[in-house]
This record gives sequence, structure tokens and C-alpha cells, in this order.
Amino acid sequence: MILQILLSGIATGCIYGLVALSFVLVYKATEAVSFMQGELLMVGAFAAVALAAAAGWPVWLAVGVAVVGMALAGALVERLALRRAMGQPHLTAVLLTFGLGLMLRGGVTTVPAATHGVHQLALPGLLGQVQLGSLTVSFAHLGVIAATVLTCAALAAFFRFSRAGLALRACSENPRVAAMMGVSASGMHTLAWALGAALAALAGILMAPVTFVHPGMGVVALKAFPAAVIGGMHSLPGALAGGVFIGVAEALAGRYLPEGANHVTAYVLMLVALLCFPRGLFAGRTA
Amino acid sequence: MKQALALLTLAVATVWALGLDYGLGQLAFVATWAIAGLGLVIILGQSGQISLGHGAFLAVGAYLQAGWVALGGPPLLGLAVAIAGGALLGALASLPGRRLGGLAFGMSTLAVALIVEEALVRFDGLTGGASGLSVPALTLAGWAVVDPLPQFAVSATALALALLVCRRLLNSRVGRAWRAVRDDEGAAEASGIDTAHAKGLAFAVGGALGALAGALYAHWLGYLSPEQFGLHVSFELLMLVFVGGASRLMGAVWGAVVIVALPQVIALLRDALPAGVANMAGLELVAFGLVLVAVVLWRPAGLVR
Repeated sequence: MILQILLSGIATGCIYGLVALSFVLVYKATEAVSFMQGELLMVGAFAAVALAAAAGWPVWLAVGVAVVGMALAGALVERLALRRAMGQPHLTAVLLTFGLGLMLRGGVTTVPAATHGVHQLALPGLLGQVQLGSLTVSFAHLGVIAATVLTCAALAAFFRFSRAGLALRACSENPRVAAMMGVSASGMHTLAWALGAALAALAGILMAPVTFVHPGMGVVALKAFPAAVIGGMHSLPGALAGGVFIGVAEALAGRYLPEGANHVTAYVLMLVALLCFPRGLFAGRTA
Repeated sequence: MKQALALLTLAVATVWALGLDYGLGQLAFVATWAIAGLGLVIILGQSGQISLGHGAFLAVGAYLQAGWVALGGPPLLGLAVAIAGGALLGALASLPGRRLGGLAFGMSTLAVALIVEEALVRFDGLTGGASGLSVPALTLAGWAVVDPLPQFAVSATALALALLVCRRLLNSRVGRAWRAVRDDEGAAEASGIDTAHAKGLAFAVGGALGALAGALYAHWLGYLSPEQFGLHVSFELLMLVFVGGASRLMGAVWGAVVIVALPQVIALLRDALPAGVANMAGLELVAFGLVLVAVVLWRPAGLVR
């Protein structure tokens, strides 16, 4: 029983963690607080559904194209709009991203096929479940966890070994010094938004087999704020760990606390984390 | 004076264009939103704090008023109860500000708002939960306020009183403390200002005004549900302040005019579109987002500085 709860909690937490990762990536590099990660997630999932179901592409190709397409879209939005909010108070970026998110959500809602009917992305190999003793393991949950681990390994390699990854890290640590070393700060901002959008889209696609794809699915990103805060707002591993922590805590609260408590768990934890650990639960290592 | 004249002209034009009842109803909403915006102007523009969850204050005011009236309490006293409740929640929401600054504090206000919204859904014995709650008309001295004209009169009177109180506050020791905290918290502290107290007071005033607006709004709509006060309301209020200008009190009024007028303009545009496009629900979202993005891109620091 407890294993069952932990497994589904970790799988949900991986989604939260990926969204929090995308949020922190953008925040660290550009200081922009993004309220549109949820909408990017939703658009990414819809793009994959549209390519796979409507256009009839092979699912894996559709997923790949959707993620790459969202990365390009993220870069484009940064170039066209978000660049203008640089150096302004936080509120400017908050309102700008919220407005862009409204446009994305509204844009998807105007497509009749998106709002009517239920969409599910049938990722092959992720349907069905296996019984291990009393534990029912759904392949969708395992797939989410595996994909998150793979993504994080790829991201870690990117940030450690590639020139662009090192430059992005340098730019996040100290833009002025990075610029003096020949790093193009504006190019890094574009890269950060591209990565952030791609990560959010990936999270949406991973969510698709577990929940359904619908225009309101972006609300899951509200749980990414607590995850990012618990991770200390500046730490990528922290954001992921924060997400998993929130996911597990929610699952446990859903089982052992009165009904409805699981809906506020994330926010209560966020308040506690803000008050007791303003620099994040994992501040000691990354500082 | 010039502003008052401009507002009067605008009000007359609204009533002339939209018809007496509908126009006055919209003006009542403008005045009600302006009261809530005023609270955010105090928090954002005067004391330099950020509130990402201002909708929670409206929610608390609306539900307190609805509950009070349902229990048979006198409505005018209910407004006082709502104001007190809003001030209390504001003071509570500002507590994390003793340890946190800037964005982290903004996040804590967001958390408070999300918790309040969830609580309203969960305690459905008191609040009607997600299915909502109907609110009787406001009665003042045995006379029910159901027509748009008295509704507008009540809201406008409340707004005028709120503006008066805020102006007095800004010109007092409290207002000077707020501006000192906004401009340089360290310097304010060094000058002997109790910054935590000043911030708490700004949130109490902002919360009280938000709750007053929420209480009036509850009566004018006659129906409450938690999702009316979700994140989108908090952001609409932020947009209101951003458009109107956070640096002066009248900014809230001008911002409220824009926020209430926007859906009307969108509805007009939708009527002008061909029938196939016109019925789509997302169009309003797109238009709202478009205006928000355009305003922010056009003047990233706010429309009026």
C-alpha cells in the first residue's frame, strides 16, 4: 500500500519537478518569473496529440517534433516579447508571461476540436500495468520516472560538457563576467527560454498518458512554484527534488489526511519552506 | 479637478452609449473594482510590496458579507465585519514579509491566496463549495438596493470615502513610512521606521479595501463561487494597477475603467466578426492576453509614471 502511494507520488512529482526545472532554468538565466509554463506544457501536449492523432505521424516522431517545435516557439517568444521585459521589476515579466499564457490558452480553446472530446496520447509501451505481488505498477508511471531520469541526465551532461551549457551556467551565475568572457548574454536568454519551453512541453507530453490532454491542464504548473521554492529558486537539482517531494507529500496527504488536504499540501509546504528555509531545503550544497 | 471632470464626462458617455440601467450597472462595477485597485495601489505603489494573490481579500470580504447577511445581521455592519476580516487576512499575509523580500514574499502571497481559494471550495457547509451561494440584495435602512442607480451610488460613495481615507493616510506619518520603505528599506529602518509594521499596515489597508470591494461585488452579482476569486482576478487587479499607474491613487480608478470596459469592447468586436468565429469561447482570453501583452510591451514600466 505505502509503496503504491510512493510510486504514484514520485511519478506525479517528476512532472512537477520537470515544470519546476523549466521555471528555474528561465528564472536563473533571465530573472523572469514565468507564469506561462503551464500553458507551454499544455500547448506542447496538444502539439504532440495533433501531430500523432490528427496528422497520423508515428507517435515518437510527433513527440520529438512537438518538443523541438516548442523549443523554437520559446526562443521566438523570447526574441519578440520577453526581451523587452529585461531589467524591469519582477511584476513586468509576471504580467507579460501571464498575458502570453492567456493568449496561448485562448488560442487553443478557439480550436473546436481541442475543447470538444477527450484527448489521450497513446505512447506505445506505456499503456497497461504489471502486478508485482500486491503492487500494481502502471507503465505510464514508470515511463514518466524513466523519462525524467533520462532528461535530467541529458541536461546534466549538457550543462557540464557542452560549450553552450557551460556558457548558460556562467551567464546565470554572473552575466557581467560571462559577457566579458565572450558569452552572448542575449543569446543565452534565448537558449534558456528555448530549453524552458521544451522542458515544459516534455512534461505535458509525459502527463498525457496519465491524465487527459485538455486546455486547462496547465494548472499543474501552479504546483511547480512550491517545488521551485522548496528547491531554493536557484538550484536545478533542487527544483527536481522539490517536485518529487511535493508529489510524494501530496500522495501521502491524500491517503492519510482528511479529504481535500492534498489540494493545499503543496502551498502549505511552500509557506513553511519560505518561512523556515528561505534559501531552499537544499541550500547547503549548492551555495 | 480635471480628472473628476473627465470621469464625469466618461460616466455620462457610458450611460448614453449603453442605456441607463446597463450603463449604470457597469459604472457600479467600475467603482467597485476601483476600490479593490486602490488597495493594491497602496501595497504596490506606495509601500513597494508585491501581492500576487489579491483576489483572496475580495473572496474573504464577499463570503464574510454573504455569511453575515445570511445569518440575519445588519448589512451595513456586515461591511464593517468584511473590512475587518480583510484587514486581518492582510496583516496575516504580510507576516512572511518580516523574513522575506521581493519575489519570495510575492510567492508567499500567492500561496495564501491559493489556500484561501481551496478552503472556500472545501468548507462547503458554510460557503456552498464549488456549486456556489446566492446572496440577497443589500438593504440599507429597510430599503433594498436592487436597481443599478442606487448600486452605483453606494459603490461610488464607498469609493469616495476610500479615496479620502487613503489620501489622509498618504499625507500622514504612515504614508511617509510606506514611501520610505518602498524607496529604500534599509534607510527607512535606519531612520527609525518600524518597517515590518509599515508593511503590515499597508497589507491591512489593502486587504480591507479588497474585502470591501468583494462585499459590494457579492451583493451586485447576487451569486458567489470560489472560482470567481481565483488567480485570474488577482492578475486582473495587477493589470488594473499596471494600466492605471501605481504611483497615484486615481490610477486605480482609471485602471478600473479599462478593466471593466475591456470585456465590453471584446463583446462588440465579437459581434462584428463572422458567425463561425464569433461563438468561440477562447476569443475573449486571447483578446485579454493580447491587451495585457501589448500594454506591457508598449510601456514596460507601467502606463503612467
